[in-house]
Formats: sequence, structure tokens, C-alpha cells
Amino acid sequence: MTEVHKVDATLRALLADVLGLGAERAAALTEDSGLFGELPEFDSMAVATVLTEMEDRLGILIDDDDVDGEIFETYGNLLRFAERKVQG
Amino acid sequence: MDEHRLRIAPVGTPRATILFAAPLFEEANRSRRTIVRAMRALAAQGFAAVLPDLPGQNESPVALADVDLNRWQSAFAETAGETEGPIIIAALRGGALIDHQAAAAAWWRLAPVGGSSLLRTLLRARVSADREAGVTSSLDSLQEQAKSEPLLLAGNCLSPAMVASLATSEPQAVTPLRAVALGSGDEAIAGTPLWLRAEPGEDAAMADAMAADIAAWSRTCGIS
Repeated sequence: MTEVHKVDATLRALLADVLGLGAERAAALTEDSGLFGELPEFDSMAVATVLTEMEDRLGILIDDDDVDGEIFETYGNLLRFAERKVQG
Repeated sequence: MDEHRLRIAPVGTPRATILFAAPLFEEANRSRRTIVRAMRALAAQGFAAVLPDLPGQNESPVALADVDLNRWQSAFAETAGETEGPIIIAALRGGALIDHQAAAAAWWRLAPVGGSSLLRTLLRARVSADREAGVTSSLDSLQEQAKSEPLLLAGNCLSPAMVASLATSEPQAVTPLRAVALGSGDEAIAGTPLWLRAEPGEDAAMADAMAADIAAWSRTCGIS
């Protein structure tokens, strides 16, 4: 599995865990799938949980100054943010 | 202690008592139904199962803002002292931060977590909620503020001592210990991390797997 696929798979599993999406809905997420503001489960507590779990599961450190509302707008935005962090 | 304890008794004399240390803060609510299902499954196998509230939790007469991890560690030890043995402690997530001062025959931990990770999530929830309200805050500014006054984090009013103790707390060595993660393999049980979930759920299969793993660990330790 390439690095990019690994980040994608980890992120989908994480969203399934935090938002209770189930494997099917998580697998169906596309670049344009809306997250914050679109999925009712995605509240501020879920945002916080997703960030800390991303750190633990991807082995990265997230400086919260880097976090703006935009990264949670769509799955594609969140995935690109995670990939940037993993690549350092 | 004035806090409530949920105790589920087996028919007849208990083989042993399983004393639960629940996850902390919001994670406790999300896990509670599944823990209680595991307790019922344990009682069906002849164990007594006890889930104590600690000072500041649920209907405790003590305010959460008046406690810290040290107080929870001694309260949990006091509860163990008042519980009929032999005792096996079953700690989940942040429960593993407060289970080591208690006297027990064995320990079992599921997905133990460091206090700093729990604290980061609570601080981030506050930053995220602040942002929605048009207020600018950061992890650093909140931690600075927490040195001198209680901080309201995701509905939890935490004292300076609680924030400071969480920032540095790690699960301590205990023996004999079986630590399991979620997943597959010898050191894991199958299940879902309900403690992370935005909308509380429950997992009956995971509750049965927890009870079976604890019962097997009890036999391995020669307890019953």
C-alpha cells in the first residue's frame, strides 16, 4: 500500500469510528463529501477527537494554528491536510 | 464515600469481584452502556461486577472542579478497600490513570491512554467551540489560563490541579497486568472505540468479548 493510500484508509477508519458512519458510508466518502456543517454528528467535540486521533494514528503532531475551518469542509480538504502533515 | 456504586451480583457466592475504572469525562458516558453489558455477562459467569462513581462524577455531591487525578486515585483505592475480594480491576482508557493505588489480585486494561491525549482533545473542543462563537483561543492560551483558574472544557469544569495532573499523567506499572487493544490478535479484542463516538452507541459483541477476556485472565492468574 502506498503512503497516500495508507493515509486515506486510516482517515476513513477514523471518521467511521468517531462519527459512527459504519464501513460502508466511510468507504463512500468522496473528495467533495461535506463534513463539518453537513454531517450532523460532526460537532466541535468530534472535530477535537478527530484531530487527536489523527495525531495518534498517523504519528504526526498538529499545531492548532494550522487548523482552520476550511480543512473540515470536505473530505478532500481533510485528506490533503493529513497528507501534508505525514510528508512533514 | 458518598458516591453511587453500581453492583451486579451473580447467583450464589461470587468467584471474584471485577472492579471497573471507567473512561474519564465525556468518554465515560459513551462507554457506559457497553461496560454495564459486560458486567451483566460477567455476573452470568459467576463474578460480581462493580462500577463506582468517583468524587465529581455523575450524582456525586462533590463538584468536579474540586477534584484532580490524585483524589480519584485515592477514592478508587478506598473503593477497592471496601470491596469483597479477590478483586480484578478492569480499567478502560483514562481509567488506567487512576487504578494503580488500589490493592487488587490482578489488573486488566483496555486501550489505556495518557492524560495529555485526553487533555488535548478537551482543549481542542473548547478552541473549536470558541471559534464558532467568534472567540479566539488556543491550546497554549487555555493552558496558561488553567494555571490560575478552573477551565470549562466541553462541559467539564476542571481545576488547575486537574489540568496539571492530566498533562503529565501516564498509566503506571501494575502487576499482574493484561493490557489489550481493540483489533485482532492475542493482545486485542474485537470491537469499536465507542469512547470516541460523537453519538453514543453500544456494542453487545464487544461487551461479551470483554467479559470473556477478563474471565480468561482471572483463570490465568489462578484467581478463579
